[in-house]
Amino acid sequence: MLYAVQIPETSDIMANTIPDYQNSQLFIFFSELLEEKIFDPDGNSVGKLLDLIVNIEGTYPHVTGVLLRLKNSRRIILLSSRDFSFTDGHFVARFTRGDFPAEKELVPSELMLKEALLDKQVVDIDGAKIRRVNDLQFLIANNDLYLVHVDVGFHGLLRRVGLKPLFGFILRALFDYEMSDQLVSWKFVQMISSPDLLRLTIAQNRLAQLHPADLADIIEDLDIHQRTAVFNALDVETAAETLEETDPKVQVSLIEGLSPEDASEIIEEMSLSEAADLLGDLSPEKVEGILNEMEKDAADDMKELLAHPEEMAGGLMTTAYSSFPPTCTAQEALKTIRDDADDLDLIYYSYVVDDQEHVLGVVSLRELLAAKPEALLAGIMDTRVVFVNIEEKKGRIADDFFKYGLLAIPVVDDDECLKGIILFKNLLEVIAAKLGR
Amino acid sequence: MGNAIYKRIHGFLYAFFGASRWRKIWLFFALIGPGIITSNVDNDAGGITTYSLAGAEYGLSLLWTLIPITGVLILIQEMCARMGVVSGKGLSDLIRERFGARITFYLMIALFLTNLGNTISEFAGIAASMEIFGVSKYLSVPVSAAFVWWLVVKGNYKSVEKVFLFACVIYFSYIISGFMGKPDWNAVGSSFLKPVFRMDAGFLAMVVALVGTTIAPWMQFYLQSSVVDKGLKADDYPFTRMDVIFGSVMVNVIAFFIILLCAMTLFKNGIRIESAVDAAQALAPLAGEYAALLFAFGLLNASLFAASILPISTAYTICEAFGWESSLDRKFLQAPQFYSLYTLMIFLGAGIILIPDMPLIGIMFYSQVINGALLPIILVFMLLLVNDRRIMGKYVNGPIMNVVSWLTVVILTLLSLAMIFFSLTGL
Repeated sequence: MLYAVQIPETSDIMANTIPDYQNSQLFIFFSELLEEKIFDPDGNSVGKLLDLIVNIEGTYPHVTGVLLRLKNSRRIILLSSRDFSFTDGHFVARFTRGDFPAEKELVPSELMLKEALLDKQVVDIDGAKIRRVNDLQFLIANNDLYLVHVDVGFHGLLRRVGLKPLFGFILRALFDYEMSDQLVSWKFVQMISSPDLLRLTIAQNRLAQLHPADLADIIEDLDIHQRTAVFNALDVETAAETLEETDPKVQVSLIEGLSPEDASEIIEEMSLSEAADLLGDLSPEKVEGILNEMEKDAADDMKELLAHPEEMAGGLMTTAYSSFPPTCTAQEALKTIRDDADDLDLIYYSYVVDDQEHVLGVVSLRELLAAKPEALLAGIMDTRVVFVNIEEKKGRIADDFFKYGLLAIPVVDDDECLKGIILFKNLLEVIAAKLGR
Repeated sequence: MGNAIYKRIHGFLYAFFGASRWRKIWLFFALIGPGIITSNVDNDAGGITTYSLAGAEYGLSLLWTLIPITGVLILIQEMCARMGVVSGKGLSDLIRERFGARITFYLMIALFLTNLGNTISEFAGIAASMEIFGVSKYLSVPVSAAFVWWLVVKGNYKSVEKVFLFACVIYFSYIISGFMGKPDWNAVGSSFLKPVFRMDAGFLAMVVALVGTTIAPWMQFYLQSSVVDKGLKADDYPFTRMDVIFGSVMVNVIAFFIILLCAMTLFKNGIRIESAVDAAQALAPLAGEYAALLFAFGLLNASLFAASILPISTAYTICEAFGWESSLDRKFLQAPQFYSLYTLMIFLGAGIILIPDMPLIGIMFYSQVINGALLPIILVFMLLLVNDRRIMGKYVNGPIMNVVSWLTVVILTLLSLAMIFFSLTGL
């Protein structure tokens, strides 16, 4: 939570406005302005403030328009904020009644605050949580308003309801407790209602700042429409990482909503075994569409993995591992690993195999780095390799991970030929259960 | 794991039914739940009491009202389910976004009080039915409160839902005990064919109570949230509608058999009762010991079932409206408001029952009054929301649906006002 005063970046605003701060407050809440009567310079009421328009370009959105319901009529007009001055915490019209300026047109980067933000859900990037907007706080600078904070606390809610004084009194009298505002800086707020999200440019999209695991939690908590909107706003790489962390049911609903092209692009970025699990949950037609869009090699690997049941070694493994013949040198192995690193699910272990793919040994990256460049793998490898059969059950494999403390375990078929490896991370759920979590 | 089982069943059904038919059957079973559970929670302690009283005091003459009640229940629940499926949001979420903080705040306070009243009557139902089995309420109420708390906090929702769906089957005990009352089917038929309507205060109050106990404010919130939780999409909607219709019919079938049993035994012999427990006790000499025990067991199940759902549904609804963390996957400190509300409801609901000399009948009575007062407000919000194109798009109500539903709201409002009037004047 950020309580610190956040000042708009444009420092000239600050420079010009320092005198203004002396006799007036710095901040004002949206709830204090909503439904307020607005007067012209002669002191005649011109109407009521219904909403404010901000331009969301820039770090802090600048208030550019005022939505007004005219006095004694049901007409609602949208005016530019330049038609008003902001003094002593109130908008004052620069025009007089009966002499209204021309109406303002909304530009694409502008949105109505009450309509788009107030009472809606937003993502608090700093706390990695979904919050509901109870109030908005503006900074007053040089007669202009800048949206700087979003109020997500109970205090803000009470202010909206009009019970703040009552609750404040009770809490002070009974518990000697002062309520405080729970403000989130606009810098850490991401809107998620779908039409607004689509308007954001990549630079304005703050979701990518979140860790994929947090992003996945947030996506699971959102409703189906917001979920899709947020997911579609992510770049391919973040989308893939997030998808790996998401609950299988939600994964399916997210992928089902995409075209086969987009889906295959994201799935190719995922680790092979996670991707295979996901494809296993999709409808056969969808899987076929996605596989057709994928590169042939990747699609073949995927088909191989899909052939195995999910709870057995074959369904858990990935085929993106590195293997070398025993005659390979440490230098050659390192070069190959460096070249292929992007496509490998694990680089720490390399497996040494003969020409029938029988596992002879395993070398770790540490051993490769420590060995002389010209040393043969046959000389450095550890021949005591722990491996599992392709039809081994989840629970038994987890036991092996537990016992041997490995990062990955190779999977072999009935002829003891290497077929893939299982990553520790893919069994985390089963292993965590064994830890008594 | 679940997935593997799913696939195995998938393959099995595929082999037997062929592609398209099995898919429909499987989809139906995968998607049902919300409607049936909501409807069955609806047959709670208050509901069973009202049906017993209706049968005991007015015989078969009120049976016909179950047909319009079923219609109205389907109408309202269908709208809720549709809103959930289309918007992907709960009802309190939609109300907050559309009507603002102030209205939502007061509405949530009213809903909390109403649901607290309902929870109290569920625990009263548990206490009363266990006393028939010879268990003191000082034992049964704390144990069941702990059970409810444990079930929801420690179990995961998937398994809890399965327990609940199984509990729905127990309602058939009422159907069995209904047959034990040896019903006169000719008289039943004629009560539907020649509906009786009397204009005396007692009769009207009973009609109002029947409607009021079947259509309650909390149901709309619960149903919509569970539809959203299931992650149902617009394509699944036909199944959800079937689920809702099936559930609504089931509630009224149960209600039918309770009224029938009480009419055939208590009404015929002129026995006056004041509660469902009286009914169960009076049944023993007339319909046999087993019918009475089944009746009491049904009451216990219904009360326990509703006591498990009401507190959690209330906590979800309120947290959703105010944007507080609300998930059983979170730890207490991550979702303090959610757990506090949930625990408070159970604590107060069970605790008040244990206070000696508590006027339980009075509490149930006034909780019904607040229920009745809140219902029209929520129905009006619902209709405004379901007709909002920004939320519902092309799934807004059609013109005929709107006429019927507004008319229903007007009638329900009048009935609710009548109920409040009857309750307050003590008729």
